[in-house]
Amino acid sequence: MNKRTEAEQKLEQVLHRALTGLPPRRAPGTLESRVAGELARRALLPWWRASFASWPVAARVMFILVCAVLGVVTILGGVSAYLGDRSFDEATALVLSWAQPFLTVVSSAGGLLSLLLHVIPPLWLYGTLSVGAFLYVTLFGLGAAAYRTLYLAPSSAGDAS
Amino acid sequence: MRAYQDMVFSTAARLSGSDTQAEDIAQEVFIRAYEHFSDLRSSVTAGGWLKTVTTNLTLNYLSRYRKRWRLFSEMRSSTQDSEDDGAELDWEVPDTVLSDLSAEQRSAIVDGALRQLPDHQRLPLVLYHFEELSYQEIADKLGVSLTKIKTDIRRARAALLPLLQTVGGARDTLDG
Repeated sequence: MNKRTEAEQKLEQVLHRALTGLPPRRAPGTLESRVAGELARRALLPWWRASFASWPVAARVMFILVCAVLGVVTILGGVSAYLGDRSFDEATALVLSWAQPFLTVVSSAGGLLSLLLHVIPPLWLYGTLSVGAFLYVTLFGLGAAAYRTLYLAPSSAGDAS
Repeated sequence: MRAYQDMVFSTAARLSGSDTQAEDIAQEVFIRAYEHFSDLRSSVTAGGWLKTVTTNLTLNYLSRYRKRWRLFSEMRSSTQDSEDDGAELDWEVPDTVLSDLSAEQRSAIVDGALRQLPDHQRLPLVLYHFEELSYQEIADKLGVSLTKIKTDIRRARAALLPLLQTVGGARDTLDG
């Protein structure tokens, strides 16, 4: 066991003796009246303004049922209004037709990327990636330095070195 | 409530380092206790329940402001660990501290010194020495690594001892 570990263990024991067995802090005399006042204020609130967990069971069940029915009606109503009298195949084709432009864009972007990779010299690519990584690390370091300087420094004044 | 209000307030105050926050937290703890009054009134573990709720509420309260900085805080810890691990305590650790003062005087000095520690040092230190949680339990509760907890507690002890000695010595001088 080295000298430093011994010193740390001794420090832990000394502080533990000093910290344990201390009497609790005395609560402010106003605490009891504050709690009573807050309980009285909450008791005067109507039940629908209290938290959902404290609603009457019947009200909670009814609320969930109403929400579920409204959700289902909204979805089914929206879908049926859009599809109208179309058959299943027509409806499927309609949905797929929405996806077609998106797939075209993705395909075009992939083609463009592939073309760029062939046209641009590899050195440029590596250089761009390096600059990007450098800027990322620099901004991250600046953020960390700002945090340590502006946020931690005042509260860490008591740190022992 | 009267039987437990000092314990609840004290736990919240030592963890949060603020009497104002501690009073808000204590109020919320007793309101929750009131909501569970039928379970607690005859329970022998009511004190433990209150202590656990107080600890968790205080940590929740503090974590609202802590989450956004956790990334940098962890990074700061890892970058400084190597520096600190190489350092040695450059002063002699005394055999006792504040031992010649009354419990009330010690309590006042300790609470004042705890308030001067930053949150990331005070929280694990209080949980370790006052709530007697293990390092792993503290790491789980605070959602940070075990290494950081050990480092923060070590730094907190190193920062706390000079504060206790300084304030305790000044108190001795004034009393004398």
